[in-house]
Amino acid sequence: MGKEKIDIKLIVVLTSIMIISALVLSLVYQATTPLINEHAAQAKKEAILDVLPGAVKYEKLEKGGLELYQGLDEAGSPVGIAFQHEGNGFQGTIILMIGMDVENQKLLKVKILDQLDTPGLGARMAEEEFKGQFQGKSFSDNFVAKEDVDAIAGATISSQAVSNILKDAIATVEQAYSGGE
Amino acid sequence: MLTLWKDFVKGLWKENPVFVMLLGMCPTLAVTNTATNGLAMGLATSFVLLGSGIVNSLVKRLIPDEVRIPSFIVIIATFVTIVDYSAKAYVPAIAESLKLFIPLIVVNCLILGRSESFASKQPVHRTIADALGMGVGFTWALTFLGIIREVIGFGTVFRGTSLAIQVMGEWFQPWLIMVLPAGAFLTLGTVLGVMNYFKNRAASVKVDLQDSTGESCHTV
Repeated sequence: MGKEKIDIKLIVVLTSIMIISALVLSLVYQATTPLINEHAAQAKKEAILDVLPGAVKYEKLEKGGLELYQGLDEAGSPVGIAFQHEGNGFQGTIILMIGMDVENQKLLKVKILDQLDTPGLGARMAEEEFKGQFQGKSFSDNFVAKEDVDAIAGATISSQAVSNILKDAIATVEQAYSGGE
Repeated sequence: MLTLWKDFVKGLWKENPVFVMLLGMCPTLAVTNTATNGLAMGLATSFVLLGSGIVNSLVKRLIPDEVRIPSFIVIIATFVTIVDYSAKAYVPAIAESLKLFIPLIVVNCLILGRSESFASKQPVHRTIADALGMGVGFTWALTFLGIIREVIGFGTVFRGTSLAIQVMGEWFQPWLIMVLPAGAFLTLGTVLGVMNYFKNRAASVKVDLQDSTGESCHTV
């Protein structure tokens, strides 16, 4: 009998602690989620406009199952599309926002949204000196580091990783375009 | 009042969680690559330490011994999740740079250690003093390591914030290794070595004094 009593107390205490924790956390969650979503949306919006030079706004575009963002300039005419794509880097996933001009078959601008590569080496992919070279690069290029892509010194793998993601993104978008029309 | 002061002060130096007790080594080694990260991690940990310390101390009588640790962990995890959400909502830049290490505060042995060895035995007011002392001790230690690594590894202090200072001149070639994981071991090891050297020397000076003055020591 005595043993049973202890068991019930254990259950009651642990359960109450869990319930109180859950209540507190659901309140905190409700208070913070709108802000968190706002930050995420804001960051994405800035990234999209950043990779589409000349764009002042954009609209979402569904094509072949892909989520694309059609950038529009002040006059409302299209200036290219933005596409988010990711792939493996040297130490973790690299997420890119890529601006493309599908009609003229070239890249507009690339922005690194997230990467975990070596600070000072691979992480320098976020510097203009490296990512700037993709501006205006043709879809039909090879995207091979040390050949048509200038690799970051000491970070050939990271440089090739970014190139691969771009190449893959181009293929994905082109397929979506050819399949969708 | 004196007891409270002692509870607070011991965490700063004599029982410093990082440099003396060597608790919480994972965040110490992982996030001290910049001063900002070290400071933010220290503050986040301090909040969890204080919050969970207070609650654990208050409910200690209600919790049966058999489920003490699971209960403490749930309470700690609750506070960590609060920090995680709040950081993402109010300081997204810092949340971004600490990423995975905020949820990992749950398993920081410093927090469960203080709950087990202090909060579960002492009244609330002493727990608060202890948690504040340990929190400040942990924060300054992490910031200190962060400053050393950032100055040598990047040549700056508090980079990426409005407080950023360029410490080293143009001539300085940053030692990249200091901001990589290996740099954490090098820095912590060197700091601990230097500290122990001075501590031992201070101790041996005391012994020398005692030896030379002989009997007089006993009367002091």
